[in-house]
Parts: sequence; C-alpha cells; structure tokens
Amino acid sequence: MARVSLKDVNKIYRSRHDEVHAVNDLNLTVNDGEFVALLGPSGCGKTSTLRMIVGLEEISSGQIHFDDVLVNDLDSQARNVAMAFETYALYPNFTIEENLAFPLEVRGLSAPERKKKAREIAEILRIDDILDQRPGSLSGGQQQRVSLGRALIRDPAVFILDEVMSHIDAHLKFQMLFDLKAIHQELKKTMIYVTHDQVEALALADRVAVMSNAELRQFGTRNDLYHTPASVFVADFIGEPPTNFFEAELFTDQKGTALHVADSDLVIQIDQQHAQRIARWNESRLTVGIRPQSLHLNGDRNLPALEAEVAINEYLGERSILTLTSGACRFRAVVDADTAAARGERVRVHYAPEDVMVFSGQTELIIL
Amino acid sequence: MVDGSAADEPSGGNSALGRRLDRGDPATFPEWFNTRKPRANLIVARWVPLALVGLPVLVLFCIVVYPTVWMFYHALHDTNMMRLFQSNWSWVGFENFATVLSSPRFGDSVVHLGIYLTFGACLQVLLGAALALILYELVKNNFLRVVFLIAMVLPMMLPPSIVGVLWKFLLTPSNGAINQALLNLGLIDQHIEWFNAGMSLWTIIIADVWNWTALPLLIVYSGRVSLPPAVYEAARVDGAGTWTTLRRITLPMLKEVIAIAFIVRFMDAFKFVDLVFIMTSGGPAQSSELPAYIAFQRGLREFAIGEAAAYAIIIFLVSAVLITLFLKYLKKVLKAQGFA
Ligand SMILES: Nc1ncnc2c1ncn2[C@@H]1O[C@H](COP(=O)(O)OP(=O)(O)OP(=O)(O)O)[C@@H](O)[C@H]1O
Ligand SMILES: [Mg+2]
Repeated sequence: MARVSLKDVNKIYRSRHDEVHAVNDLNLTVNDGEFVALLGPSGCGKTSTLRMIVGLEEISSGQIHFDDVLVNDLDSQARNVAMAFETYALYPNFTIEENLAFPLEVRGLSAPERKKKAREIAEILRIDDILDQRPGSLSGGQQQRVSLGRALIRDPAVFILDEVMSHIDAHLKFQMLFDLKAIHQELKKTMIYVTHDQVEALALADRVAVMSNAELRQFGTRNDLYHTPASVFVADFIGEPPTNFFEAELFTDQKGTALHVADSDLVIQIDQQHAQRIARWNESRLTVGIRPQSLHLNGDRNLPALEAEVAINEYLGERSILTLTSGACRFRAVVDADTAAARGERVRVHYAPEDVMVFSGQTELIIL
Repeated sequence: MVDGSAADEPSGGNSALGRRLDRGDPATFPEWFNTRKPRANLIVARWVPLALVGLPVLVLFCIVVYPTVWMFYHALHDTNMMRLFQSNWSWVGFENFATVLSSPRFGDSVVHLGIYLTFGACLQVLLGAALALILYELVKNNFLRVVFLIAMVLPMMLPPSIVGVLWKFLLTPSNGAINQALLNLGLIDQHIEWFNAGMSLWTIIIADVWNWTALPLLIVYSGRVSLPPAVYEAARVDGAGTWTTLRRITLPMLKEVIAIAFIVRFMDAFKFVDLVFIMTSGGPAQSSELPAYIAFQRGLREFAIGEAAAYAIIIFLVSAVLITLFLKYLKKVLKAQGFA
C-alpha cells in the first residue's frame, strides 16, 4: 500500500520537429487506500500521467513519491504497480488464463494456485467461459476485461487502471462498476482510475481529479466538483446535461443588485452579500452558471424565476429536458418526465439564489 | 448493356433494394460512362494485354514447365551421354531410382546433408536469431542499428563464387590467413588441414554459415521490430525480467518467423551446390558431396541424365514433404492465435 504524490510533474514529448507538453506542473497526492479518478477529455494527458507513475515514461521534470520513497529513477518492476492498459496489451501467444496468471507466474506461484486465482478473477469479470481462448479471437470488451483482470490479480502497492471500461456495454458496465468498488473496499488499496466518462468517475472515486489541456483543473470530492466547480471548464464538464452558462453584467437598482444577462431580458438574482463580493471583483463581464437540475418548473413561488419559451421538450425516460429560449439565450432545465410543455409555451423556472455560480469573465475561475 | 437495366430487373424489381448494379443505372455510374462507346477509349490495342500476359507465361513455360516435364520423362528412361543426341531412349521404369537409392554414394551424401542441415542451416538460423535479438536489445540507437545490420548483411551480398574463392584462400592450410592467425594466437601448434577428407564438409559449413547467417538474422530482426511494444511494457509492469520475457514472450511470438527462416534455409540446403563445387568439388573422395551436387555432377558433367533426374526428383519429393509439414505447422500456430 502506498500514498502516491506527484510534485510539479511535467511531461514533454520531444520529437525532431516539435514538442508536446502533455502534462504541465501537475501536483496531486493520492492517499493510501484512496480511490482517485483522473477525469478529462481525450488527449489531456491522463495516460501520460499514469505512465509516469508506473515508470514506463521518463519524467521530464518534477518528483513522484510512493510514500516517502522517491521513485523517479526506479523501474516499473521496483515500483510494484499493477496497470491495466488502455490498449489492453495482452500477450497474444498466451491463453486468457495464462494472460491473467502471468504476473503470478513471474512471482513464482505454483501452477494450481495460479489456476485457482485466475479462475476467481475471471468469474468476477465474467470471462470464465473464455479462459482457453487466445486474445486474437476475443471482442474488444472481453480483451478489456482480461487486461483489467491481469491487473487486479496482483497484490501491488498501487493499482493503475486506464480506461478499463470504455468498450463495455452499459448494462455490464453498471455491474462492473459495482464489482470494482467492492473489490476496492475489500482490498483497501490505492487505486488510480482514468476515464473520460464522468459517470464512472463520480460513481467510483473518493476524489476526482479533473484535467484538461495538460493541467489539473480541480481535485476534490464529487460534492466539491458539483457545487463549487473551480472554473467554467469543470462546471461544464461535470454534470449531465451540462451547466447553462450566461454572459452577464452586474447592475444595481432600488430592489438591490442582480445579474443582467446579455442579449436577453433575463435577470438572475443573487444573495446580497454575494453581490458585494462580486462587485469587489470589479469585472464588467461575468459568466454565470446554473445547472439544469437547479431550475425547477412549478418551484417555490418565493424564489426568483427565469421566464422563457419552450423550444424542445426531450423525453428521456425518468426525466425530461426542456430547452428554453429567451432572446438570443438558450438554456436547459431538467423536469419531471410527464411535464406537458409544448413548443412555444412560456414557462417560469425557479431557482435558489445559492445555486447560482458566478465566474470571472476573464480568467473563467469561480468567484462564488 | 446500356439499356439493359429494365430488361434485367429481377421480378418485383421496382424496389430500389432489388436493383442490380448496372451500367444503365444512372445512379450508379455517371452520364459519360453510360453513353461512351464500348471499347472506344481503351488506350492500347487489344493484342497488347494478351501479349503482356502471354509472353511471360511462354517464358515460364519454356524455363520451368518444359524442363520439369522433360526431367520426369528422362528419369524413367536410360538417357545418358551416348544416347543424349540420338533420341533412342528406352523406357526403364524405376531403374534409375533403384540405382540411386541403392548406391552408397547417395547414402553418404544423405548423411552429409544431415550434417549440413543440423550444423549449417540450423546453426545459421539459431545464430541469426540470437544475433538479431541481441542487436535489437543492446543497440538502441537507430543509426548504429543500421550500421550493424549492413555490416552483418554484407557477406550475403557477395556472389557464391567470390565467397568460395575467398574462403579457399583464407583456409589454405600452409599459408592461409586463418591458420596463420590461429598459430600466432597459440591456439593450435600445427596447420589445420581444412580440406582433408574428415574436414572438408565442415569447412564448407563454416563458409556457408559466414555467408548466410545474415538471412535468418534479417528475417528474425524484422519480426522482432514488428512485435507490439505495448506487450513489453505490460511484461515490465507485470514484473517479468529479461530472461522471462525472452523465454515466455519474445520467442513464442517469434516462432512463426523463426519457422519461416528455417524453411528458407532448408529449401536452399536441398539445392546447395555452389560452395561445394567451388571449394571442394565434393572431395576429397566424395567426402563432402551433397545430393544436389551429385545430381549436378552426374547430369551436367557426366551426362547421366536419367540418373541425375532421379536424384532431382528424390530431392524434390523429400523437400516438398518437409516444407508441407512446416507450412502445416505454421497454419496450426496461426490458427491457435486467432489469425487465419
Ligand atoms: N509517445 C508520444 N509522443 C508524442 N506525443 C505523445 C505521446 N504520447 C502522447 N502524446 C501526446 O500527449 C498528449 C496527451 O496524451 P495522453 O495519451 O496522455 O492523453 P489521454 O488524456 O490519455 O487521452 P485519451 O483519453 O484519448 O486516452 C496528446 O496530445 C498526445 O498527442
Ligand atoms: Mg489515455
């Protein structure tokens, strides 16, 4: 078991023609036994970060510690990490059982013991029916589970799982998320899980690190990410459907201070203490975010509301999503599935002032 | 064909799905294609494609098919120097084969071939494979790799006559460079008689190994280069050391490639004549003769055409069986891995 800490870690890929700065000044500490998800869009440097932790990629600058040991110069074997690869990297000449058991074989476990363990892990991952096949004849999802199994069969200091569920169908994924969480709770090992699917990240992880463009944007629990996103990017990335953003200006009249949305007659109310804080920021342009889940049709009459016209009413099973327009502004609200709001109808959606997120227009960082 | 689409419609052909791809269908081909005159825009005369295909076929027929048939014919006749130009060959059935198979000369040459296969062809493949893997593992710089590869491939680029003469010089017992060097190093205290009866086959093998090791080296090296690096990363993370990786991952993944190297060298072994002819002429006292060399000797120098043809056919059959077995094995391996 180990605590993994990254300090000012950089990764720069140099080729003859150009340089790619894949990871930029990353600081991250994953506590012993913690389940951390690394979440971010494609190409943001997640895999590069993992490969440096595992020791497959040289660290351009910075330090990586396992507990108090500096591992920069240790090779993968010495670091004792188990990794499931994004590209599976199965051994093509081995059967699935041999693939699963290879880490144990290397460690000198006896054949019957290896067989037993491989069978156990295969049952959990539901690949026990293909144990004597070879990777070449498997589907992508099956190969992915074998690769996950080959990591989970070990007893390492840290588990590193790189997009291990991207090719697994929704139904099975639900089961596997549950199983993986159970495995983690049983083993209590440090796990770092990379994904670009926020559902996986939020479902599994104790804390989530959101990355984009080679940088860490925010590292926190799901509540932190959801309620106090550090920036417009995080607010946009976390949550489904994505947060509504409005370009707005602060203005004050006799009723108090509010935010006026550009190119429409929408006015967003905020707490008066907050208004002072925003005013102190002294920025003319602000970005205001309200989650579609925070907008309630037929909400509390005492709360402020936005009035707009229904453009689309999407029925999604247990809920519906209304797309509303007001002037040039378009935003969405999550409502009950049986809401009968026809196109063109005018509706009022209520919100609580504390659910309004305000970001600086320039830096896109959160103000409150 | 231009207006054939309506007539060619299958029954119930109104549906777009059932419609055939047809030249008359404007949706499938552009207008100019449908209205052009058939053959009008062929850019060459009609005999040109026929000639382009026909001439090579004719050449192949003359230099491959006809001689092969001729060989089978004469293997069953008593063709020899006296009768070669008289055309009064008489049918002898399998007598030529019986002569060959019962002659001690043939038996000896088979033993020699066995020695050559084990210590020549096999050694070349094993040595080549080892060198290829060592080169790949130890030399990481691309430029140096190319330099080493070229250096090792050079012997293969020399014509056999040069290789033979070169080694004959190097191994001349009394004043050859190799004996001198060994003497100077104190490894031997008298000249090695490289071309003695007991030694000459081995001498040929030494020259041949020098000449041809690069071929399996190239084959295995290219195989190693094309193995997926991700698998090696996985092995590192899984904790496998160099030796385990080699034994459990690299060699199993390269076994088809190595098998191909074996096939190539074995095929050459069955028709191996050049160095034998140049270095020892099969001697002394036929002690370094291989079957193909005897076929050459009997047929083209002593004009016992029937007997030479019988030799050739025997060699052909044995090598065909061996190669078929190899290919069968290869197919099995590929199938087991989910390819093919
Ligand atoms: N070996 C390499 N050489 C050069 N550039 C690389 C290399 N590996 C990755 N990169 C670049 O580094 C950046 C980050 O890549 P990385 O694989 O870490 O992204 P990722 O977050 O894992 O993306 P994904 O979600 O698609 O897997 C990309 O712009 C990529 O092009
Ligand atoms: Mg990746």
